[in-house]
Parts: sequence; C-alpha cells; structure tokens
Amino acid sequence: MSLKIAEQATGSSHGPRRWWSSITFRLTLLYVLSAAGILTVCCVLVYWMLARNVDDLAGQFLEDEVHDIRAALRELPNNPQGMDAEISMEGMYPNYYARVMDGQGREFEATPHMGEVVEGFQFPHPVKVTEPPRQFVKTRARDGRWYLLTSAWGQVGHAGDTQMVLQVALDVSKEERLVQNFGRRLAGVVLLGLGLSAAAGVVVAGMGMRPLAKITAATQRIGPTQLHERIGSTHWPQELTALAEAFDGMLDRLEDSFARLSQFSADMAHELRTPINNLMGEAEVSLSKPRTTEEYQHVLASSLEECGRLSHLIDSMLFLARAENAETELKRSALDVRREIEVVREFYDVVAEEQGVEVACTGEGQLNADPLLFRQALANLLSNALQYTPRGGKVRISVAPPNGGWMDIDVTDTGAGIDPEHLPRIFDRFYRADRSRSQYPQGLGLGLAIVKSILALHGGTVAIKSAPGAGTTVVLKFPNNAS
Amino acid sequence: MRILVVEDEPKTAAYLRNGLSEGGYVVDCAVDGEEGLHLAQTSAYDLVILDVMLPRRDGWSVIAELRRTGKQTPVLFLTARDQVHDRVKGLELGADDYLVKPFAFSELLARMHSVLRRGSSRPVETLKLADLEIDFPRRKVTRAGKRVDLTAKEFDLLSLLARRAGEILSRTIIAEQVWDMNFDSNTNVVDVAVRRLRQKIDEPFAKKLVHTVRGVGYVLEDR
Repeated sequence: MSLKIAEQATGSSHGPRRWWSSITFRLTLLYVLSAAGILTVCCVLVYWMLARNVDDLAGQFLEDEVHDIRAALRELPNNPQGMDAEISMEGMYPNYYARVMDGQGREFEATPHMGEVVEGFQFPHPVKVTEPPRQFVKTRARDGRWYLLTSAWGQVGHAGDTQMVLQVALDVSKEERLVQNFGRRLAGVVLLGLGLSAAAGVVVAGMGMRPLAKITAATQRIGPTQLHERIGSTHWPQELTALAEAFDGMLDRLEDSFARLSQFSADMAHELRTPINNLMGEAEVSLSKPRTTEEYQHVLASSLEECGRLSHLIDSMLFLARAENAETELKRSALDVRREIEVVREFYDVVAEEQGVEVACTGEGQLNADPLLFRQALANLLSNALQYTPRGGKVRISVAPPNGGWMDIDVTDTGAGIDPEHLPRIFDRFYRADRSRSQYPQGLGLGLAIVKSILALHGGTVAIKSAPGAGTTVVLKFPNNAS
Repeated sequence: MRILVVEDEPKTAAYLRNGLSEGGYVVDCAVDGEEGLHLAQTSAYDLVILDVMLPRRDGWSVIAELRRTGKQTPVLFLTARDQVHDRVKGLELGADDYLVKPFAFSELLARMHSVLRRGSSRPVETLKLADLEIDFPRRKVTRAGKRVDLTAKEFDLLSLLARRAGEILSRTIIAEQVWDMNFDSNTNVVDVAVRRLRQKIDEPFAKKLVHTVRGVGYVLEDR
C-alpha cells in the first residue's frame, strides 16, 4: 500500500516531461512566430511597392508615347511626314514597339519588328480618343520576354470622324527580372531573419528564464533541516520578488509548524510516558511478592485511573486531529446562548461553591452552532477559570450584543493571570503556562487547544487577554449567523 | 439472559466473558465473523456484542447478513475506529448502539441495559432502599423517616443512582444523565457533587448507601 503511494508520488513528479510544455520552448516559438510574421509582412510590402513602382514607370512611358502618336495623327493631314518621323523615332528605342492601324485593322505605320513581336498578343480594348490610356496588360511572349501593352484610338486631323487604332508595347523583361530577383532575395532575407530570430529567441527566453532556474535551485536547497534558510535575501527580478516573499512566508509557517510538531510529538511522548510508567511500575512491584487483596485492589484501581488518563488523552488528540483536518461534522442548531451558558454554569455550580468563587452570567444571544461543542468550549474555559481563581474571586461569562457580524462571549476571571511570555503559545497543545501546577491530575494542557479548534470549526476565533495579578479574559468570537 | 460476544482479541474476549458472567449473563464467545454469524443464526441470544474488525467476515457483514435473514437480535458494536461515517454505517446497518475502544466496562453494562430495557420499562414512582425512601413524582426524599432536603441537581443525581441501584455508574454517565454534559468533561465536578449528596443522605447515618468504586464510578447499594 505504502509502496504504491510512493510510486504514484514519484510518477507524478518525474513523469514524462513533454518538451512542448517547456516555457522556454513556448517563448521561443512565440518569438519566432511573431518575428516571422512581422518580417514577412514588411518584405511583402516592400516587394509590392517596388513592383508597383516599376509598373507605374513603364505605364507612364507608354502613356507618353500614346500621347505623342495621337499628336502626330492630329497633325497628319497637315504634315504627313511628321507621322513617319514620330514612328521611326520611336523605333530608335530598342525595346519599344508601336503601330497605327485604321478602323479595319490594316497596318498604317509601325516600328520595325512590331509585327513579329506582337504576334498573338491580346491587346486591351482601345480607349476612346479623349481618354488617356490607363489599361495595361502584361503578357509573356513565347520567347519568355515580358511585354506591357496598351491600345487607344487616335483622331486623324483636328476635325472629322476618321480615327485610327494605336497599339504600343514595351519590353519590360529587364524590370520584371529585377523585381523577381529582388523578391527572391527578400525571401532569402525572411528565411535568414527567421533563423536569426529563432536563435535570438532561444537565447532571450533562456536568459529570461534563468532567474526561475536560480529560484528553483534556491528552493531545492531547502529541506526539513534547513527550514531556517530564506531565499528573499537575494536580489530577484521584480516579477519573482513576490514569489520569493510568498515562499519565505510559507517557510515561516512551515518552520513554525515543524517546530510545533516536534514539540508536540515530544510532549505527546511525555504525556504517554508518565501513565505507562505508572502502569508498568505498579504492576511490576505488586507482582514481585504475594500481597493482600486490598493491595491488589489498590493497584488495579490505580491502573484504571492511569488508563482513564490515557483514554482521555487519545480522545482529545483524536478530536484535535479531526478538527484540524476538518473531518469533524458540525451538528449545528439554533442555540439560546444564555441557556447553554446556564447549563454549563449549573454543572460547575458545586465546584464553584466549594471553592468560594462566584460565577455570574450576563447578556443574551442567539447562535447557530454545534451545541455539544459549544458547551465543551465553555466548559473548558470555565473549568480553567475556576481552577486559577482563588477563594472569594469572581468569574463572569458575558455575551456581548452582536457587533459587525460577530458575537463575542467573554469568560473573565479575577485569578492570578498569566505572564505575557506565555500568551503567544497558550493555545498550543500541551502548553501549560504554569509548569509547577502541571501536576493537576487531570490537566493535559489540551483544554485551550480544543477551545481554539472548536472556534475554528465554527469559523470563529479565540483571543486571550491577561496580565499577572489582573485576571484573565478569554474572548470567544463566533460569526453571528443566527437568523 | 444469553449474550453472544464476537471478538477475536483473546484478552478482550476473556474479560468480557468474565465480567458479563459475573453480572449474571450467560456468555458465548466466537472468535471470527463466520462463527459469530453461525451462532447468532442458530441460537437465540438476547444481545450480540460484535467487534467490527474480525477475521474471515467483518462485523458490518455479520450484521448485514443477520438482518437480511430476518434476525432482529439487538447488536452492540465495539470498535477502535470511530470516524463519523463508521458510526453512521453501523447504525444504518441496524446496530442498536456503538461503543468505541477504549471503553469503561461500566459504560458497556450501562449501554447493554439500555438496549435490553428499551421499550419495556415503566418508570417507578417510589423506591425504597434500606431506610432510604424516594418519591419521584413529589421529588421527596426521606431517610429513617426524616425528610432530607436536596437541591434539584442533587435530587436528579440521587434519582439516577437509585433507579439503577446496584449498578456502577461512571462519572461520564452521571455527567451525561444529570447535567446533560455529553462530552468527556474531565473534571472532578461529579466527585464534588457526589460528596455533597453524601453529606446529606449518608453522613448523619451509620449505614452508608452511596459507595465509591475506585477508578470506575459510584453505586447506590444496601451492602
């Protein structure tokens, strides 16, 4: 059984580590993804702008040419040579081609090779005479060269309805190659950037995570024997300061709990040792030689008393352990606080009378609490108060009117009081302020611890005020939940 | 009255057998669940005292089987475990009471009495023990013909001792019955109260009726 648990525990802490769950990996991945995104968007934008710019320049050139040929056409009736001059001048450009055709598609004038170059090209529909050519078509010739094409109507002469079609083509292969080369280089840049950002991401994430590794190493150094060590003294980055402080706070509480636990175990062993020692000793001595019946009876009765002590110790310890693990089920009911107090007071009446201590109750109230536990808490307090209050003293149990969601029940005595040094530990198990009176046969030093547990179970708190010679007041603070 | 004790721990079984036999019961013992179930089913018992942790068949299973086959013999559970759900489970399965180890033998006797008496007793109105007379309805006590004045709680205490005269009552039971303090109150309150009661009903007289059984409790008895 225990082996199984151990295995499970090991399994959970050292199980297969999934590499994708590593923060470094995730940070790097996010870093690379965002860098890739940004880089790609920028490069695409630059590429697009360049391509657009190149096309615009070529388009502008074609538009200017169309403008010039239209002008020559308008002057054609007056200056038939102007047209020839214009076209042949255009023919000087090595990668520019133009032709002029009449409405039936017969060639009127053309730059050299125009016919061969534009063979099979689909020119856009010619725009009207009055419109500038804005429609360009980029097309690829069979020889792999790129051409930008446009077409427009031109007016022959300044008046009349004779129009001719102009077709112009520009070989943009060089520009196209430039843009494509640029695009390829940009892609290379993006890939290189990705690689670099991945490398940078690993380094940056690693650097970012380094304090975490350091704080882990610092916490790993602390075992049960080094609980006094703290990690908050190191200068941590701002984000980890809170963690370090929280961890130190946890260590404080752990150290305190460990100290209490070991003190508690020691006290427990001591408490067990005394009755068991008595049992063993008495039995051994009485068996060492024959004795009278009365002697045997005495020993047996004494053993019974010791057993009663052990049994009571076990009951109290179990109660505290269960209360701590919230295993105790509260059987709440609506309580008339004053009535419950009177029941407990009545129980202690004879003792108070014997000791010459006056017990008074004041105040009224309603509370939703477990009646058994409520009585037990009160009984423990009253029993303590009576025990430490001398003849002629007074014990007062007062119920304060509900105040801000809380109901206070004070148990005040006029007894000897408690030294301030004992107060912080007075609710600890087995803690007895007055060691010299610890011989009080029934006192285990668990009474106040039980009171504290009972209040905790009810969601309340318990406080103590005391000074030597000035008596003691214990305040039970219950959440005021009666409705 | 016949009692069946099902208990595998030999010392516990031995002292239960002794104590109960001396208390006037006829006691049979079984050392495991199967034997216990067999005996309980085949013989007539007035009460079964059943340990929970038993070899071969545990106490829960014994009582479940017993009730399933229609046997309504009262059952008193003994156990070292007293988690709340254990208690609830025992009572749900049809146990009549539940006693957590370690328990005082007097406590066991008291619980047995209340289980066996359940529904059968009629409250007595007057009681006479030696020269002590108690009139319960009038709450009047006389000893040797002389009226004894008792406080309310003193009368309750005497009533409890008198109604169960001859039976040793532990401090826990007295605190529970007289003051309604249903927890281990761990005080000498009961001792003080009994001492004061004695001052009134025993001290002026030669014959003592309230006796201390050291380590166990108190008993009202004409010895």
